[in-house]
Formats: sequence, structure tokens, C-alpha cells
Amino acid sequence: MHWKTRSRLTGWLLGTVTIGFLLFQWAPMFTMFTLSFSGENGGTTFPMNGVSLHWYRNLWEADLFDDFKPPMLRSFLLALACSATTVVLSVCAAQAMRGRFRGNGLYFYLLLLGLMAPGILVGFGFAILTRLLGIEGAWNTTAYVVHVSWALPFGFLTMLAVFNRFDPKLEEAALTLGATRLTAFRRITWPLILPGVIGTALFGFSLSYDEYARTLFTSGSDGTLPLAVMAQLDRQLTPELYAIGTATTAMSLIVISLCAIGFWLRARALRGSPT
Amino acid sequence: MSTIRLRSPAAFWLALPAGLWMALAVVLPVLLIVWVSLWGGTSVSPNNPITFDNYQRFLSNQNYLWLIGDTLVQTAMIMAITGVLGYCIAYFLTVKVASPGWRVALFLAFVIPFWTSTLIRAIAFVPFLGVNGLLNQALMAIGLIERPIQAFLYSRLGISMAQVSLYTLLASGPVVYMLNSIPPALREAAMTLKAPPIIVFWRIILPLTLPGIVIGQVLVFLNVLADFITVTTVGGNKLAFLGNLILLFYEGSQIRATAVVSVLLMLLMLAGVTLALRVVDIRKIGG
Repeated sequence: MHWKTRSRLTGWLLGTVTIGFLLFQWAPMFTMFTLSFSGENGGTTFPMNGVSLHWYRNLWEADLFDDFKPPMLRSFLLALACSATTVVLSVCAAQAMRGRFRGNGLYFYLLLLGLMAPGILVGFGFAILTRLLGIEGAWNTTAYVVHVSWALPFGFLTMLAVFNRFDPKLEEAALTLGATRLTAFRRITWPLILPGVIGTALFGFSLSYDEYARTLFTSGSDGTLPLAVMAQLDRQLTPELYAIGTATTAMSLIVISLCAIGFWLRARALRGSPT
Repeated sequence: MSTIRLRSPAAFWLALPAGLWMALAVVLPVLLIVWVSLWGGTSVSPNNPITFDNYQRFLSNQNYLWLIGDTLVQTAMIMAITGVLGYCIAYFLTVKVASPGWRVALFLAFVIPFWTSTLIRAIAFVPFLGVNGLLNQALMAIGLIERPIQAFLYSRLGISMAQVSLYTLLASGPVVYMLNSIPPALREAAMTLKAPPIIVFWRIILPLTLPGIVIGQVLVFLNVLADFITVTTVGGNKLAFLGNLILLFYEGSQIRATAVVSVLLMLLMLAGVTLALRVVDIRKIGG
């Protein structure tokens, strides 16, 4: 067989594998999306028994026991706080790494450790710490601290990559022209790293919003959305869970596409402007 | 010259908050777990003598040893599957897809689910794998099976399918990165020197992507080893791996046993990462 034929054959083979995997990856999610719109008598599997928004309405009108609105609000606020904190800490840390302070190699590994350590260990360890200190765990105190420690390594790595990428001559020019370091950072560096900052903020938000293991050990009595979902799953799997899953997934997709569009518009604007 | 002076106190002070945060929220808790796992005595208290009794008690139970072995087998299996699958997908997306538009579209279809909740994705497998689920319906529709297969859900098979779906991207991503950083001239040079494609792949592409493979394998290893969400949602509490055991002991307020399992989990992870670092130098990847 000629090698070109063989190369095309591998192409087809690998293509089939890839498409097959993509279908396999999306099929469960589409099953969930579809079933979330099933009729009032619909269950957690097919047949759907009609098409309705019944389960979404149930979600909205639910009270007390299976009310997902308070956990959702808590998750949202926690994710916002985590996102903001992650941005500030990772920009500072990455900027500091450029200063090559003493022990920066060790520092790099310290921050990376948060990426490696599994949530179940960090959560459990932090629960021991708070118990020894006699602190009561809560979603907006202990869980917040642990969530930031999860998002921080991602933000730090993002910001390091961003700081390494732009042309240092731009900063040098500003400094040579007499700008103070603070002014140069504010007027030159900050606009350059802004896309990375937005990426970091996204990381901070979505990592916190979806976090389960760390929250389980540290959030105390008022849980976040993933905890509420898991608790409901323990009681009974209902189409309401599919509705929640569909709603949160849709929300993530909207946020991602908004950011993608933003980046694209910005890139186009930068390309269009005279340099 | 940049906006921060080399080795200045400012750099140190800027680094401090993040460093302290990680030390307090990650390093200290992990050290505390090790300490608690050594507490002796009958009551749970820091004043008790330090012993290895807890470990002895745990490791003398045959069932727990089986569970550790079982977890490792499962992890190795998922690593193998996601490794091969991830490499195929990475190779196809970066090398074989010619049109940039298609490449971006396929790549997005591959990556986007990763940005959504793992818990939700795991739950979505329940209606997918169930008796009336989409997979059974599809298999029956094309006539491969006559009756729905019950063993998909609440079984090891189901857990493995969910884990492969969740973690293949982790194995694939680093390979994509390494494949993209191979200069096209290398391949052209080898082709000009009459190397057949298989030799080009075997002698040039594969060695150059090896660091990516290893990093991907480490990520999958760490995630599967500590995974308990997939096992509880798709496995329906019928099965348990190390992560589930930690949760089980914790819910039973057996803090010291929880700590023991946690430390064992940590040791397994450290061993795996150390082994991987022997194969490739992670620090070389950035430069």
C-alpha cells in the first residue's frame, strides 16, 4: 500500500475515534437536557410523557425542603467573591514572580501544590484545622478560604503565561520616558494583561461554582448548589435535577461564549487600529 | 527593566498574601491530617501519645487492602484507556484536520464540557446508561441487542464509562500542547530523508510528545485515584474506592481512620508523581 493511502486511512480511523468520543461525551448531557423538558408525568428516563416546562416551574415555586434557590444564591455569591480574590492574589503573585524574589522556585511549587492536592484531602484537612481552632464552618468563611486556594493555582499559571508573553520593551519605554513603576503598570501593563485577568476571573468563578469535595467538608449547615444537588440525588433522582443541571450548564455556556465573543471583538479592534 | 525591580522588597510583599493563603489552606491542613492519623489512645484528642496503631489496624484488614488494590487497578485501566483515546484525538485534531474552521469547531466540542460542572456531567450519565436510557435505546434501535442491558448503570462498567468521558481531556490536552510545539521542519526533514511515516511518528513525534503524555497521565492518575463523585452518582453506592472510604469514615465520625486513609492516598499520589518526574522533567516544558 502506498504511504499516502495509508496516511489517509489513519486519518479516517482517528477521525472516527474522535467523532465517536465526542458523541459519547455529549450524548449524556443531551439526554439530560431533553428529559428536563419532559411532561408532568414524565420520570427520570424515557418515555418523556409530553413536553413541558413543568420541572422548571417546580424548581421556581419550590419551598423549604427541596428549594434550590438559596443554595444557588450562596453558590453565586461565593463564586463572585472567589473570583475577585483570585484575580487580586494571582496578579500580585505573578507580578512578584517577575521580580525573582528569594525563594521564588519554592514559591512556584507551593502554589502548584493546590493544583495537585485532591479536594477530598484539602477539605478534610481544613475541617480538622477549623475543629482544632474551634471555628464553626460556614459557606462564606471557611468554604471561601478553601475555594480560593483551589482557584488560585489556575489563575497564577494563567497570569504567569500572560506576563511572559507580552513585549517587555513596552514597559521599558514607559519607564524610560519617566513614568513611575506604578503609573507604568497602571497605564501600560494592566491593559496588556487584561484578557488574562478576565480569564482568571472566569476560572475563579467556575471552579468555585462547581466545587463539591472541598465544600462538603467546610461549608457547615448552609450548603452550596452542588451540595444541594447531591443531597437531592441521595433522597431521590427527579427531573428537577435535570432542570437544574440544564440551567447551570446553559449559564456556563452563555458566560463562555460571551467571553469568547469579547476576546474576538477585542482582537479584531486591535488588529484594525494603526500600530 | 520592568514594572517590578529584581529582588526588591516589593516583589516579596506582593508574593506574600498568595503564599500565606496556600500555606494556611493547603499545606497546614495536609500536615494536620498526617498528625491526626498518628493520634493514639481511646478518645480522639491531641494529647494522646503518637503511635502507628491506626495504620496497623487499618492495614491488617484484608478488605481494605483489596480496596486499595481495586482502586489502583481501576486507576491504571482508566489511565490506559484515556491515554490511547486522548492521544488519538489530540493527533487527529492537531495533525489530521486540515481546515482551521473544522479544527476550532471540533476542539470546542471537545473542550466545552470541561467548563461545566463535573457533578452534573456525572449525574447526566444516569439517564444515559439506565435500562430505558439513551444508550440502550440506541443499541436496540440498530439491532445490536434485543433486551436492554442492565449492567450499564450502577456498575463498574458504568463508572468506567463516565470516568473515561470526564477525564480524556486531561490526558489529551498536554499532548495537544506538545504536538503544536513541534516545528514542521522536523517532520519535513525526516520525510526528505525518506523515512516512512511510521518511522517519523515512532522516532520523532512520539518522543517529542512524551512529556505531554506523562503529564496527562499524571492528571488522570490524580483525578481518578481521588474520584468519589462518579462512584457515588453512577455507581449508586454499590461500589467503593479509596475516596469513598474516606467519606464513609468521615461521616461515621472516625476521624483517625479517615486520616489514615487520606495519608495512604497521599502516599500513593506522591509515589505516582515522583515516578512520573523521573521519566520527564516538567520544568523543561515551559521553555
